[in-house]
Amino acid sequence: MIASLRADGLKMRKRWANWIMVAILLAWLVLLVYALLYLLVKTQPESLRGSAVPASVLKRQIFPENLIPTVLSTATSIGAAIMIIFGALSTASEYGWSTIQTILIQKPGRVAVLGGKLLALAVATVLISIAAMAIATVSAYVVVTIDGSSSSWPAATEIAKSFGALVLQLGVWAAFGAFLGIAFRSTAAAIGGGLVYLFVGETLLGGLFRGATVIKEILKFLPGINASAVNAAFHLTYRNPGTQAALVDATRGVITLLVYLVVFTVLGLLIFRRRDVGGS
Amino acid sequence: MAQSYAVETHGLTKRYATGVLAVNNLELRVRSGEVYGFLGPNGAGKTTTLRMLSGLLRPTAGTATVAGGQPGSPASLAQLGAMVETPAFYPYLSGRDNLRVMARYAGVPKSRIEPVLRQVDLTDRARHKFRTYSTGMKQRLGVASALLKDPQLLILDEPTSGLDPQGTVEMRELIKDLRHGGRTVLLSSHLLNEVELTCDRVGVIARGSLVAEGTVEELRARSGGQALLVRASPIDQARRLLESLLKPDQVQLRDGVFTLTVDPSQAAAINRRLVADGLDVSELRVSEQSLEEVFLELTEKQP
Repeated sequence: MIASLRADGLKMRKRWANWIMVAILLAWLVLLVYALLYLLVKTQPESLRGSAVPASVLKRQIFPENLIPTVLSTATSIGAAIMIIFGALSTASEYGWSTIQTILIQKPGRVAVLGGKLLALAVATVLISIAAMAIATVSAYVVVTIDGSSSSWPAATEIAKSFGALVLQLGVWAAFGAFLGIAFRSTAAAIGGGLVYLFVGETLLGGLFRGATVIKEILKFLPGINASAVNAAFHLTYRNPGTQAALVDATRGVITLLVYLVVFTVLGLLIFRRRDVGGS
Repeated sequence: MAQSYAVETHGLTKRYATGVLAVNNLELRVRSGEVYGFLGPNGAGKTTTLRMLSGLLRPTAGTATVAGGQPGSPASLAQLGAMVETPAFYPYLSGRDNLRVMARYAGVPKSRIEPVLRQVDLTDRARHKFRTYSTGMKQRLGVASALLKDPQLLILDEPTSGLDPQGTVEMRELIKDLRHGGRTVLLSSHLLNEVELTCDRVGVIARGSLVAEGTVEELRARSGGQALLVRASPIDQARRLLESLLKPDQVQLRDGVFTLTVDPSQAAAINRRLVADGLDVSELRVSEQSLEEVFLELTEKQP
């Protein structure tokens, strides 16, 4: 499995598409979260002037004291999408290029090949989480410094916990993407299916039909809802009143996400191990 | 001493989910150290068989032993190098990096990469991306990848497919070199002269079953072997005489030339009779049946 991990590490490192996705995630954090909100607060456009929340409160969302919830909220939106694409690319491309047959003829068995690939995805997820935390930390520091305000950093234990939550959430979405890649054997279908589920199935329908009792019960089992519940456990000095309350508690959220991680991994392994490669 | 086989199958069968029976009860034995030609028309089941031997497809029934192990097991794969169908590599990686990836999977030291690149004459282009390679270079990279493990058994599926004449000749020379050191080569092809030029033994597959096996000479002999070609005039008189000497079905006339399916040792006696009857004999020679004729006869016989 270590041999497969090293092989997949090399492939991942040399693939531009992976670096572009990481760059999009980090640019999103810097530009659309920190820079945009700060500019809005500072320039006070017409639409914000009537807001009940004073700018002095609103801008604290991007101060160091709110570092954790700000980073985690990114993980449930653009972060989830990026990781679905990341995972789907890593497995589905092997079918698209037919390289799956070339690597399966090398020495490791199928479980070792996929195990190495998933380990490489796990390492990439940790590195992406570190990068996201680091860029958010620098951004928060720059914003508070430019603003001339004072703020406090979260406690080390909170940062450690939030880092774990970030890795878990991004890992679940990456595993979901990888599973879809194996199931569909097509990059376009895997990415399309994953993003449709994320943005239409979970976000949109979950938002529209949340009031219905049956839908609400179903939502409690979905990964995105559980990830939001985990994020809600981290203290935010100002929370938008429009934000929907978490449907489950954080502990259940963590357990559900862990179950999804295991299920996507095991299902992917089962299909990968048993299915014929090539032929018709 | 018992013959050792690099590949041995018993009743190997593959029926796809679509219901297509691609390989049917295949009994194949490839001796260690030989170059074995796996011959068959397109759709005969060659690639499906090679995929099963490489562990990519699961047989519906039957068993196979490949390089001493079950197909697809790490023990078997450790001794197997294969290029099945078109060479598939990462388009965004260079040829050398593709081999680095495969070397890592195979657990072989990276010091093996340069020797195999030299062996397939790809060192100069190794730093270029795979997507820029010509068909010939892709095929050679496929062979290089198959050689990384210095395997005892090499499976090559249509290695000259898509190559120009020069590339075909080069690939053929490369295949001849690959057998050195007692390596077994299982070569699938539908190109008869390629198999004739490179293989010790040939197996002919048609509609998923092995219909003949042996050396090229043995297959020719089994299929009628040699014949006498005679050109004599006047033709009508020659035909009457030849049909009186031989059975009518042993005499065939095509384009003014008689094909006599007789032992070539009778050539002198037939010539004497023709001349003695006042016929002009302008040509008399032994004709060997081409492998192509043998192949067509074997594969078209199948129901």
